[in-house]
Amino acid sequence: MGMRTVHRDKKPSLVPPPAAAVASLVVPGFGQMLTRQVWRGLLIMGSLASIIALFIWRVNGIAHREPTLLAMINRSLQRRPLFIVIVLIGIVLMWALNVWDAYRQAQPGKQPGTGIFILIAVVFFVLGWQISEIDLEKAVVELPDALPPLSRVLWPWEAAFTRETETVSAEAPILSPCDDNPPPPPEEIPGEPYLVAEPTCGDLSDLDENNDVIPGTTLHLIGRGFAPNTETQIWWEDPIGQEFRVRKEGEYLTVMTDSEGSFETDVVMPYRLIPPSAEGRLIHFISARQTSEVGGLLPSEPLMLTIERMVETIFLGMMATAFGIVFSIPISFLAARNLMSGSWLSLLVYYLTRTVLNIIRSIEPLIWALIAVVWVGLGPFAGIIALTVHSIAALGKLYSEAIEGIDAGPIEAIQATGATSLQTIMYAVIPQMIPPFVSFSIYRWDINVRMSTVIGLVGGGGIGFILIQYIRLLDYRAAGIAVWFIAFTVAILDYVSSEIRQRFV
Amino acid sequence: MLEVRNLTKVYDDGTVALKDVSFQVEQGEFLVIIGLSGSGKSTLLRCINRLIDPTEGQILWNGIDVTAAEGAELRQIRRKIGMIFQHFNLVKRSSVLMNVLSGRLGYTQSSSLFYRFSPSDRQMALDALERVGISNQATKRADELSGGQQQRVGIARALMQQPEMILADEPVASLDPVLAHSILGYLETLNQEEGMSILCSLHYLDLVQRYANSVIGLRDGQVVYRGTKKQIQSMTDEEFKEIYGEEAIRVGVGGEI
Repeated sequence: MGMRTVHRDKKPSLVPPPAAAVASLVVPGFGQMLTRQVWRGLLIMGSLASIIALFIWRVNGIAHREPTLLAMINRSLQRRPLFIVIVLIGIVLMWALNVWDAYRQAQPGKQPGTGIFILIAVVFFVLGWQISEIDLEKAVVELPDALPPLSRVLWPWEAAFTRETETVSAEAPILSPCDDNPPPPPEEIPGEPYLVAEPTCGDLSDLDENNDVIPGTTLHLIGRGFAPNTETQIWWEDPIGQEFRVRKEGEYLTVMTDSEGSFETDVVMPYRLIPPSAEGRLIHFISARQTSEVGGLLPSEPLMLTIERMVETIFLGMMATAFGIVFSIPISFLAARNLMSGSWLSLLVYYLTRTVLNIIRSIEPLIWALIAVVWVGLGPFAGIIALTVHSIAALGKLYSEAIEGIDAGPIEAIQATGATSLQTIMYAVIPQMIPPFVSFSIYRWDINVRMSTVIGLVGGGGIGFILIQYIRLLDYRAAGIAVWFIAFTVAILDYVSSEIRQRFV
Repeated sequence: MLEVRNLTKVYDDGTVALKDVSFQVEQGEFLVIIGLSGSGKSTLLRCINRLIDPTEGQILWNGIDVTAAEGAELRQIRRKIGMIFQHFNLVKRSSVLMNVLSGRLGYTQSSSLFYRFSPSDRQMALDALERVGISNQATKRADELSGGQQQRVGIARALMQQPEMILADEPVASLDPVLAHSILGYLETLNQEEGMSILCSLHYLDLVQRYANSVIGLRDGQVVYRGTKKQIQSMTDEEFKEIYGEEAIRVGVGGEI
């Protein structure tokens, strides 16, 4: 539709002003229609009707247990007084304004005012506020809840590095139950850590018929030759090779070594369910372990994983772009109007190609990824398929527009020099096509890398895949590392691609 | 050297662009075609080197019928006829030198498909740029040049064909009057010093009177005026209106009205 001047002389009203006012009082907008302002009347009628319908729907949602509408409104008024009052006043005001507007419209020579439409917009805004559950108070009061994860995401680098650890340990055998021949304590080697338990045999804790614990034998542990003034953990290994930390009154038992690297403590033999096949003379081991950080910083597992996945993401985007380019070039010729307007058949192909490209392009890559995951399973290949499909459609459209934009002048000029058709393509067509093609392709790579981070969220591989896992595990530091790497990569790629594009166009 | 006989062109949509046009161009002639926009000037020039296929009639180039020529024969004819255009028709994103070299395509072998030219061709291109006074612009992109410079590149490209005739389709219509004289001056030099025939369409009567040896006037695709250099100099407003229609007002170039 073209521009038209709206300032026309108003046609005279069909009814006198009071009649129009009464008509609008009974049915809002009806009076305006009678004054031949049909669109204005329909707009007012439609707005008021939908506002009342939305209002009843919300009231029903707030107080759905009440039997009658009036009771519902009454109840809602107690729960959400501000909302109900504003909307009710709005409706009443609108109704009144609509009557006054109809009266005015029926008078000759009056220009239509916009006051009623501003009021309609305000009431819709209030309804929208309530429907979309905006709660500023909650946003302010519960802001502190968001701060710990936010600070971890914003500064995740403590989790990016770890130190190598070294464990110093010594163990002693414990026989259970005791017999005439308890195992000897281990031999002490000077300079090596050494642990001795007294006695070297005893009974494990057990449960009676009321599930009360019968404590086992108390062992007196003496350790020597450990690192001084260091936390030492006590571990237990049962005959079937299972290891666990020994507890004392519910807490893990940790002792501090003295300045000479020695310690003494008492341990009650723990409860163990020994399988019947392992009955008999069973040797357990009790050990003391010191773990200390040695050496320099090492990249942590989340950091390494993030870097690996980031590389995967960049290549995922690159492969999808490459496939997209390869497939979209031939398609773009079919979608270029100047090439396809020769006959009705080629024109049909043109319209068909354009329509299919538009449909594919209007479906988000996220949805293509969901389909691709069902098709080829989780992983980067699914992401490549999703992005390729979308790239073909997007690039096909851009390329075909570049072809349509080719200047026929140079073609004519090269032909006039006596060049062959192949030479004409090389000298007049290709030089015109390459810059937009390169520019669009690089831009698409940029888009695809950004998209592939999102594609990962639904299982399309790449960094998005681990990002969503970290978020679900509430590991905000690891998630923060991934977020930062995405931001770095996108920023660098954005810069590089715009630089390259500037040189080409 | 060029003879056009009863040339008619009817476009697919039924528009009659040329109707029974006949004329001759002699060796060393500077023939100017005048007429309103849409009178068929561009179509006529493009029929001569077969950028447009005529519907009826004959075009004889040194005795060979251009309308019947195909493939290699047509290309042999085309390379002896240089052409320059109103909008210059350069490949904007290629370098000036590459645009000039492309004028050599009618002579080169398949190696030129990969943008390679012999040293002698490159030297020839630099010489051609020298002749039109822009040899210092050779490495620039064509679209970095001003309009007048671009048209000179167009002339240099035509020179690479070592043409016997130059077709010029409104060569100065996109340029201001001062540049118009400069560009037509180059064509005049080629015409007078090298004996190249020039077939040129122009708008302004002042330019026609200044440069033409002879003139034909086109109106609605038909020849309505033929004049020699002498007749042009004394052309009256009545004759001018005969060609350009009753509403035409004579507008001068370079300030004279």
